[in-house]
Amino acid sequence: MAGVRLEHVFKKYPGSDKASVSDFHLDIQDKEFLVLVGPSGCGKSTTLRMIAGLEEISEGKLYIGDRVVNDVAPKDRDIAMVFQSYALYPHMNVYQNMAFGLKLRKFRKDEIDRRVREAARTLEIEHLLDRKPKALSGGQRQRVALGRAIVREPQVFLMDEPLSNLDAKLRTQMRANISKLMKRLETTCIYVTHDQIEAMTMGDRIVVMKDGFIQQSASPDELYNHPINLFVAGFIGAPAMNFLTGQLVEEGGAVRFRATGFNVQLPEGKAAVLRSKGYIGREVILGVRPEDIHDEPVFIEASPNSIINANIEVSENLGHEMYLYLNGLGKDNVIARVDGRSGLQEGQNVKLAIDMNKIHVFDKDSELNVFENN
Amino acid sequence: MQNSKWQQLEQLLGGKVTARTLTVSEWERDGGGKYPEAGDLLKTEAGMRFVARTSGSEVHVYEITAELTALEQELLRLVLQQKSGRTPAGPMELERQARKLGEWIGQNAVAGEWRVEVPDWMEIKSRLFDGMIPFLLLREQGENREPPYAELDKALRSFIADDMLLVPLREHEWLILVPDRLLAETEAAEDDVISGDAGKAVLASLASGLHQMVAEEWGGECHVAVGEPIDPTESVVYTVGVLRETVNLGRKFHVGMQVHMPWLVHLERLLSGIPEAARNRFVEEMIGRPDLFSDPETLQTLDAFFAMDCNVSETAKKLFIHRNTLLYRLDKIKQEAGLDVRSFNDAVLVRILLLLYKVTKRK
Repeated sequence: MAGVRLEHVFKKYPGSDKASVSDFHLDIQDKEFLVLVGPSGCGKSTTLRMIAGLEEISEGKLYIGDRVVNDVAPKDRDIAMVFQSYALYPHMNVYQNMAFGLKLRKFRKDEIDRRVREAARTLEIEHLLDRKPKALSGGQRQRVALGRAIVREPQVFLMDEPLSNLDAKLRTQMRANISKLMKRLETTCIYVTHDQIEAMTMGDRIVVMKDGFIQQSASPDELYNHPINLFVAGFIGAPAMNFLTGQLVEEGGAVRFRATGFNVQLPEGKAAVLRSKGYIGREVILGVRPEDIHDEPVFIEASPNSIINANIEVSENLGHEMYLYLNGLGKDNVIARVDGRSGLQEGQNVKLAIDMNKIHVFDKDSELNVFENN
Repeated sequence: MQNSKWQQLEQLLGGKVTARTLTVSEWERDGGGKYPEAGDLLKTEAGMRFVARTSGSEVHVYEITAELTALEQELLRLVLQQKSGRTPAGPMELERQARKLGEWIGQNAVAGEWRVEVPDWMEIKSRLFDGMIPFLLLREQGENREPPYAELDKALRSFIADDMLLVPLREHEWLILVPDRLLAETEAAEDDVISGDAGKAVLASLASGLHQMVAEEWGGECHVAVGEPIDPTESVVYTVGVLRETVNLGRKFHVGMQVHMPWLVHLERLLSGIPEAARNRFVEEMIGRPDLFSDPETLQTLDAFFAMDCNVSETAKKLFIHRNTLLYRLDKIKQEAGLDVRSFNDAVLVRILLLLYKVTKRK
C-alpha cells in the first residue's frame, strides 16, 4: 500500500500557451480516498492521467510510495485504472476480462483463479463469469471493469468518472458500493468526478480544481463550511450558495450589509474581522447557503437584525424540503431551502431570517473569503 | 567458387559475375532493405545484386551485369536461400519476416502501388490467408517508451489470438492481422459469418479493447484504426493506406478520439479534399460570424450534439448540463449563425461548417 505525492507538477501541451495543469502540489496519504472535482476542462482528468502514466508530466515529480515514477510505464506503476470510457474486451468472457492483466504478468493459474473469484464474490458477479460483455447491463459492465482493477491488488486505484454512464439510481447505488469496497480493501484511491455530490459523499478529502489550478484541498466538511474563495463556495453545495453584491456600512456601532432588498446586521465577531481588514464602506459579496435562510417563526423572532422580505417567484416542493426562488433581493433569484410542510406558495410574500453566523464575505476583486484568508 | 565453375556461371547467365562484400548501411543506401537475407535481390545501375549470405554487419553479394528473366531471378534466389540453410521460423525469424513484409508494404505505399500482391518470395505469405481483420496501431511520435517487438507480440497473442501477425511498418506504427473468426467468437454466434452493421460494431469494440490494452500497458497516446476483413495477399498495401488516412482524418477532425473506423469518416474524407479557397468561401458565405466556432463551449456543444445523433437529452447528459441549459445554448447558436441545428437541413449545414472549420484551424 502506498501514498501518492505530486510535487509542483505541470502539464503543458505543445503549441499551447497555457498549462492544462499548473503547479499541482499534493500529498495523498496511504489508504486515503481522495476526490478531484471541478467543472469540465479544469484539469482533473489530465492530472489523473499523469498519475496513471497515460500522459507525460511536463514539469515536476510524481511519487508512488517512495518511488519517482515519472518515466515508469503504466503497467509498472502498480496502479489499477477504472475510466469512464473503459472498454471491456469484447471477445473475452467476464472471467477472461478480469484475468487478462494477471495472465500478461505471468501469474500462476491457481493464483489468477483465486483473485478473480474473490473479486467476483466481492462485486456479486460470480454468476456472470461465463458471459461476454455484450450480454451484460451497464451496471454489470461497470462492476467487471472494477473487478479487472481489483484483481491487480494495486497500491493505488485511479477512477475517472466511472459512474457517469449509469442512470441516476444505479449511480447512487454504485457510489455506495465503491465507497464500501475501497474502505474494505484499505487501498489509496484517487477518484475524479464533476459531480460535487459524489465528491462530498465519497471523499475523505476533496481537491477542487479550476483552470488547471488547485483551489482548495480539504475535507468535505471543511470545504462546505469554510470555502476559501467564491468559486469553491459556489461549486460545493446543492442548491448552490447565494451571492449578493452590496456595501458594508457602519451604523450605530454595528456593521450592516446593504443590497437591494437586503439590510442585515453582521455578528460582532465577523464585524471585527471586517473592520480590521478595512472593508467597512467597501463593496463586497455576501454568501449565504439556502439552508441558512429560515422561515420558522421561532428563528425569525430570535433574529430581528437579519430579517428579509421577499416574494416567492417559484417554489419546488421535493416532499421533505422545498426550494423557494425569491425575487426582490439583489440581481438574481435568491434560493431558500425550507421544510416541505411549510405551506408556502408561489406569488406569496414571505418574511425570512438569515443565520448570520453562517454567512461568508468575499472580496469583490480577489474573490477570496475574507474570514478564511489572512 | 572455383574459377571454372565461375566461368560456367558467367556463361550461363550471359554476363559478368562479381563477388563483393558490402556493409548493411551500403546495402540500405543503394536501396536494399534494413535486414538483408540470402536470396534478397536489388536492381542497380550496374545490373543485379543477389545476397549470398550475411554475417553481422557484412553482406556478401553477387553482382551480375546480365539481363535476367523473372524465372532466372527466382531460380537464383531459391538456390541462394537453400544454400544458406535457413531454418523454419522461430520467434526471431518470424520478427524478421514480419519486418520484411512491413518494409515491402512501406516501399509500395510510397511508390503508390496500392494494388500490388504480396510476392511469392515473401516467406511470411504462407501465414496470410483470406479473412484477416487489419488493425493499424500508431503511437504518437515522441513517445519514448516504444515496446520491444517481442513484448508487444506476446501481449497481442495473449490478447487476441496465437495466430495473429504483428507487422512493424514505420517507427511507432504496426499492422496487426487477426483471423476473422474473432468476430464470431466475440458475438458467440452460431454462424461463422458476422457482417454488415453488426460486424462493424464488433470491429469497433475490438479496436477499443485493443486501444485500452495498449494504453494501459505502455501508456502514452496511441491510435487504433480497424478495417473490415481482407485478403492481405491481395490488398494489404491498399488497406494500410486506407487505415493511415483514417487515422489522419480522425486526428484532424476529431481531436481526442483515438479509435478510428474508415466507415465513419466518409464526409471528412470528402471535405478534406476540397481546395482551401473553396472551403473558406463556403464558410464565409454561410455564417456571418467567422469566430462562431472559436468559442470552446459552442464547439463542445455542437460536437456532443452531433455525436449523440442530435438527441437533446443524451447530449445534455454527455455534457453534464441541464437540458434547459443545452436548449439555451442551441438557441444562442441559432441567433448568432442563423441556423437551427434542431432542423435537419440546418444540422447538415452546421455539421459541414464545423468540419470545415476544424480543417482550416488545423492548418
